[in-house]
Amino acid sequence: MSAGQPKGKATRAEVHRFLAEVLESERLPGDYHRLLLRAPRLAEVAALRQAQGHPEPLVPRSLGEGGSRGAAPGQFLHLWCHPPEQLDHPPSAALLRRPYSISRLRPPDGVELLIRLRGVGGRLLAAKRPGDQLDALGPLGNGFRLDASLATAVVVAGGSGLAPVPFLIARLVETGARVVCLVGAMTDEEVPFRVVRPRVGRATLPEIEALGAEVTFVSEAVEGILVTQVVELRLTEFGDAGAEMFAIGPRAMLKRLHEVTGEHIPLQVSLEERMACGLGACRSCVVPVKSESGPAYKTVCRDGPIFDSTIVDWERLEP
Amino acid sequence: MSALDLTVRIGDMTMKNPVMVASGVFGYGDEFMGLADYGELGALVLKTVTREPRAGNPPASRTAETPAGMVNAIGLENVGIEAFLRDKLPAALSYHTNICASIAGESPGEFADCARLLDSSEVAAIEINISCPNVRKGGMAFGVDATASGEVVSAVRAATGKPIIAKLTPNVTDIAPIARACEAAGADAISLVNTFAAMVIDVERRRPLLAAGTGGLSGPAIRPAAVYRVWQAAKAVKVPVIGMGGIWNASDALEFILAGASAVMVGTVLYADPSAGNRILAGIRDYCLTHNLPTLSPLIGAAVRPTSRPP
Repeated sequence: MSAGQPKGKATRAEVHRFLAEVLESERLPGDYHRLLLRAPRLAEVAALRQAQGHPEPLVPRSLGEGGSRGAAPGQFLHLWCHPPEQLDHPPSAALLRRPYSISRLRPPDGVELLIRLRGVGGRLLAAKRPGDQLDALGPLGNGFRLDASLATAVVVAGGSGLAPVPFLIARLVETGARVVCLVGAMTDEEVPFRVVRPRVGRATLPEIEALGAEVTFVSEAVEGILVTQVVELRLTEFGDAGAEMFAIGPRAMLKRLHEVTGEHIPLQVSLEERMACGLGACRSCVVPVKSESGPAYKTVCRDGPIFDSTIVDWERLEP
Repeated sequence: MSALDLTVRIGDMTMKNPVMVASGVFGYGDEFMGLADYGELGALVLKTVTREPRAGNPPASRTAETPAGMVNAIGLENVGIEAFLRDKLPAALSYHTNICASIAGESPGEFADCARLLDSSEVAAIEINISCPNVRKGGMAFGVDATASGEVVSAVRAATGKPIIAKLTPNVTDIAPIARACEAAGADAISLVNTFAAMVIDVERRRPLLAAGTGGLSGPAIRPAAVYRVWQAAKAVKVPVIGMGGIWNASDALEFILAGASAVMVGTVLYADPSAGNRILAGIRDYCLTHNLPTLSPLIGAAVRPTSRPP
């Protein structure tokens, strides 16, 4: 079974709509805001799953009964940006929900999101204070497919693609994999985490390193190099280690990674697209996939957001 | 008062109440499963299907949010009538209410082919989409012309005994002759409005934001314009009119009913509130109870009748 291409007819696990209480709301450096929500159902994590003997991959839609309990890295919440009690009155701005990938699970029942402060939706959410309630749908999307026997995982993130990286790395580390995390950005300010540049050696992100990953950070402004170039320099090493790659970031970065990994290193990419329903119904957020009979599209919200790079039609994907 | 009866009849389809889900927003039904009690509503209209599968318009982008609304140009992406009947309809029929199909085509014959295949299915009614603004051929091209609209409805009428609902576009100078042509050709009801033709420009790229160039505007932004079209259409025909366009709450729905609609459809609001239909239905019930109305009949078109006075 490959991401974005469930085998046979996927029986859909129920999507949940719930009220999430804001526990913490904090302005971060750069253009970001951190929200910690109380979402007990989503926060029931790997421990529960393992106790029930569920094998990897950790794709909630395939978990059967109680399918939405817990969440997988790469999945997102679809948030109504206005107070839940105002649902009966149409807002003039931010009429649609906004998708935010799950950035971290914080035991016992917290779910953390990184909100980029651009657009009215992000600003409305950043104005939430502890005690406020958010109307949320989720977890939505398929999530990364994780192989429990994986020895080496390479996580590549560009700029704003960092939001779901902590969750992904935490899960990969749990499976026992060695995790290499390569992060690129235009400037340090573009990154929602603290950047540390030691006098000698590579720049790093301590918060990501603390999760158990070997982190390399490069910015175009300081190091003058793209993260894809770092990947290319280490391709042989990753290939020899039997690594799998997980990538989140701008499309140009994802496309380049697809080109350089080729057949040797399996690559899962997280794609973004303008969304309306978040459920696969409206067909707004589609991306082109390879097909032998004319154009074919899959939805980012339901078939994705995680796709095997081999099924994406990169030539037809808008930059 | 427990005697409140909100029943609405469209041809031989009986709905337990006037709140329906509009075509397009609800996909094939399974996408929203579990998010609300959709079986409580009067009917659910599934996404428009055509004889052959359609890939739809190119992405990036197909939708844009606008003030109190959204513009979409999906382009009738659908699995085709055969896959619809085989793979999609069975799941939708598990909702305990009327399931309606919506069909489109590039010729009256294609509409008729779809209707013929649906005739032996368990759909409760067939909506004829002659109003999609986002396809080059067919779609709105029929709905802006009374003669062409009538031809499509006649072809469908000849192909099925199911109740048929003609869905009209507001992008016309006068909607009355088109509504009358559909009624004369055998439509059991008319529904309106589909989206208003619209456009969004990306000022950084200096290009239309939607890949298709143009799209259709829906949401609360269009509601007053939609109420007006329903008012015009309801005065023109005797068959039931189903009103829609930006309905967000019960008061909005009642505006359409007072303008002449026998039933209403909810669409865009479901993206914000998947249980909006249930919320609106509860509000309509409350209104009827508060005003001591045993049925909706006294309300339907009440605002159109010059002599009517509020209680």
